[in-house]
Amino acid sequence: MAEHQPAPDEERREFREERESLWRITLAPATWAVHFVICYAAAAVVCAKAPDSIGTLRLGIGALTLLALGLIGWLGWRAWVQWDVRTTGDYRNPLGEAEDRHQFLGHAAVLLSVISALGVLYVALPALFIRSCG
Amino acid sequence: MSDRRDMAPEGPYPPTDAMLAEKVPQNVQKRQAEELRAAWAPPKGWRYPTAVNNSEVGLWYALTAFGFMLLAGVLALAMRLQLAVPGNDVLSADRFNQFFTMHGSAMMFLFAVPMFEAIAILILPAFLGGRDMPFPRLSAFGFWCFVIGGTFVMGSLLFNVAPTAGWFMYPPLATQDEGPGSDIWLLGLSFIEIASIAAAVELIVGALKCRPPGMRVNIMPLYAWYVLVVGGMILFAFPPLIAGDFLFELERSFDWPFFDPTRGGDPMLWQHLFWIFGHPEVYIVFLPSIAIAAMVVPTVAQRPIVGYSWIVLSAVGTGFLSFGLWVHHMFTTGLPNISLGFFSAASEAVVIPTGIQLLAFAATLIAGRVRMSLPMLWIAGALAIFTAGGLTGVMIGIAPFDWQVHDTYFIVAHLHYVLFGGMVLPVIGGVYYFYPFIRKKMLSDRLGRWAFWLIFTGVNVTFLPMHLTGLLGMPRRVFTYSDGMGWGWLNLISTVGAFVIAAGFAVFVWDLLRPKGSQPRIARNPWDAGTLEWSHDVPEEYWGARSIPHITSRYPLWDDKGLVERMDAGRYYLPDSPHGHRETLVTSVIDATPELAQRVTGPTWITLWAAAFTGGAFIFPTFHMYPPAIICAAFAIVCIVYWLWTATARPPAHEMRDAGLGLRLPTYASGPKAVGWWAVWITMLGDATAFASVVFGFFFYWTAKADFPPEGAQHAAAGWVALATLALVLSWALTLGAREWNRAGRVAAARAALVAAPVLAAGGAGALILSVLDLTPSAHVYPALMWALMVWVSAHALVGIIMQLYCLAGSFAGKLTPRYDADLWNVTLFWHFLCLTALVAGAVIGLAPRVL
Repeated sequence: MAEHQPAPDEERREFREERESLWRITLAPATWAVHFVICYAAAAVVCAKAPDSIGTLRLGIGALTLLALGLIGWLGWRAWVQWDVRTTGDYRNPLGEAEDRHQFLGHAAVLLSVISALGVLYVALPALFIRSCG
Repeated sequence: MSDRRDMAPEGPYPPTDAMLAEKVPQNVQKRQAEELRAAWAPPKGWRYPTAVNNSEVGLWYALTAFGFMLLAGVLALAMRLQLAVPGNDVLSADRFNQFFTMHGSAMMFLFAVPMFEAIAILILPAFLGGRDMPFPRLSAFGFWCFVIGGTFVMGSLLFNVAPTAGWFMYPPLATQDEGPGSDIWLLGLSFIEIASIAAAVELIVGALKCRPPGMRVNIMPLYAWYVLVVGGMILFAFPPLIAGDFLFELERSFDWPFFDPTRGGDPMLWQHLFWIFGHPEVYIVFLPSIAIAAMVVPTVAQRPIVGYSWIVLSAVGTGFLSFGLWVHHMFTTGLPNISLGFFSAASEAVVIPTGIQLLAFAATLIAGRVRMSLPMLWIAGALAIFTAGGLTGVMIGIAPFDWQVHDTYFIVAHLHYVLFGGMVLPVIGGVYYFYPFIRKKMLSDRLGRWAFWLIFTGVNVTFLPMHLTGLLGMPRRVFTYSDGMGWGWLNLISTVGAFVIAAGFAVFVWDLLRPKGSQPRIARNPWDAGTLEWSHDVPEEYWGARSIPHITSRYPLWDDKGLVERMDAGRYYLPDSPHGHRETLVTSVIDATPELAQRVTGPTWITLWAAAFTGGAFIFPTFHMYPPAIICAAFAIVCIVYWLWTATARPPAHEMRDAGLGLRLPTYASGPKAVGWWAVWITMLGDATAFASVVFGFFFYWTAKADFPPEGAQHAAAGWVALATLALVLSWALTLGAREWNRAGRVAAARAALVAAPVLAAGGAGALILSVLDLTPSAHVYPALMWALMVWVSAHALVGIIMQLYCLAGSFAGKLTPRYDADLWNVTLFWHFLCLTALVAGAVIGLAPRVL
């Protein structure tokens, strides 16, 4: 929305609203969800149609897990840069300013990346330990 | 959307201190207040049921849900009486089955979820300093649907025909159940689920688009974050159940064997669809209740919440992870161990975000100057009980432990701890906290403490022994047991505890309903809270906020001492109603910059009629009375079309409106700036999820059954399927074309497209029907599923045709013009989804069986 007249305390250009999206903070958990669904679906199909190839399945889940962790790591890194806490020292971002909103979304995305990475690791563990469809 | 003809806001924003400091003359204040009072007054006398104000609808909703909760509680007491001693005969086995089924169903569908919606409708606009929800009539429609559906389902108890198969309706028990019980459950509750989705749409749009200017996403009240998350969860959790209900009812009514293993079906599909809904459901009722705690705790601690971002993390994270847990209800169904492992792992992972929010609350209390109050007592009790339930949850999240206690009273104990601690107690705490806001009176501190200690003690006395009862082997849902089992004394304790809970509820109900006329006028902000709802007017006014403030911090009432005074003076936005309209402010999603003065709908009978006919369309099929059902459905459509035509997206008399503080705002928007577009988008996301669930059914059968599709089975006619898909895609293209031509001023071309598009859509639906006509759906699950997909797409095509014709009529009537084209935008959005649905359905019906 560029229509309104810029006030003297207008937000800095790099924090413009149209660059932000609520969707972005859900990308890391969405990666977890995709990883989870693929693990579940692949295990269900393999165990129903070809129980002997569970070894391949476990390797595949391992590769998928590395991929998911890599993606989440990258998202987390970008969010970390956006949060910018080392420069600002601001952990709370409590003000109604564009800069605080920008860093808050980064902070939330960092935290969600951490929880998503943990979730991915948790879900991968059964494939590490369980060797048969049983 | 940056079309040139879209009117843009004009004037200064954000307001400067000097602008805010300027006084509003007394006579102006008086005139503005009178205008608002006239515009927002709810109807009086016999017209009172036509009210749509969120303060009225929310209150009715909450009281009705609470009434159903008390009824369901009475059922529980009757069951506890029956189980108090071995070999008891207070209830017959059949009545006991009806009671436990209705206890669970009513608590979940008629209390827990509606209560979230009721409370959110009641207080969310106040948190956002707003006037009302964006779609007041939709709330009212949802409420009346809920009343009709709930009364119908609960009423079945009086005729001794209530469902008996348990609240999760497992086939084959439920599919083969004699009598209308299962149908009552399926149709009555589907009806309510649709109302729930309507409320979710309303709440999401409310939290995204109706925040006060300046309330960026990083300073939203945490409650709004929870509402967003829970609304999103409803959109993805309820549709699988609706899809399951759809298949289930087709089996019950027409003998299409989706869950019948003798004809290729599989009861496990129901379990999957039910629990994909059922587990997130637990978090759908838990998160909004914990959201109340997130509002109470900072007030009690008299400081901002510690770890705002961490609580957002925990709400969003829990929302996601809760969808990876459903199979932990199915650990004993013989799935491969590795699959169980995934769900067990996710079940343990969800503990992390859940724990984080509890720790954030504890940190806030430790860091603040705690002023213990009655609401906090309830919250504290809730956290204690919830934590106990969470610990047993960690235990049964581990598959081998679950195998031991599955279907025993250990599970009953666990789930009641979780629900009392995670839902009932925080909600009652919330009632004590928000009562001064809702009714402008205080509840009794003394009675509240009595109620708390009775309920808290009762919960522990009832449910703590049940862990042991379960470990000793008592199964759920047995109507009696023999003396020799040794469970008698434990059950007697539980029964005594249940009546202690009931006594606590009696005290609470009395406190809630006793006359309070003689009470002195309450303080406006009795708890010294920092959030906007405590800028409410005492005595009550119906305008929501006298003027909609500009917000710059998370706790505006603490941080800006002059704010309430300026709101009262009408210094902020939309302080008047020059044309007598009800209006609310629409702002942008991320930073809440003002975009639009949205006119909202007022009192009407049409929502009641629409709900009554929709009710008929769902209730008559329960008794296999199809002609009246179809007539009701037709009338429901007529009512809804009338309601939309007369009250939504009408070309405004005035393009722009002075919104206050020098800002002029447009009064009409189409496309992504319009709240209606967002509502369609969100609704269709839910609809797409339901369709995906039916498609999931196809792949589920293919995975689980060796004979799907059966050897040499007759497939749908490929030519007709291709033709159907093509026709529907062309209809979509023409709809999109109509939107573009209309916008470019080529009205004749747009109208021609809107004539051709419904013809093509009808042809497409017809071709799809022809493609499966030779298949016998009752013979095997494969043809049944082909038919189900056909029914799904055809029904949507019918809706799509009505929408196209609605736009065509609008174009001729002058409601839809090149400038005012919101309807066409919304219809095109529906058709985007329908086009996708048609392509997927075409591939699944025509291609997949031949390829797999």
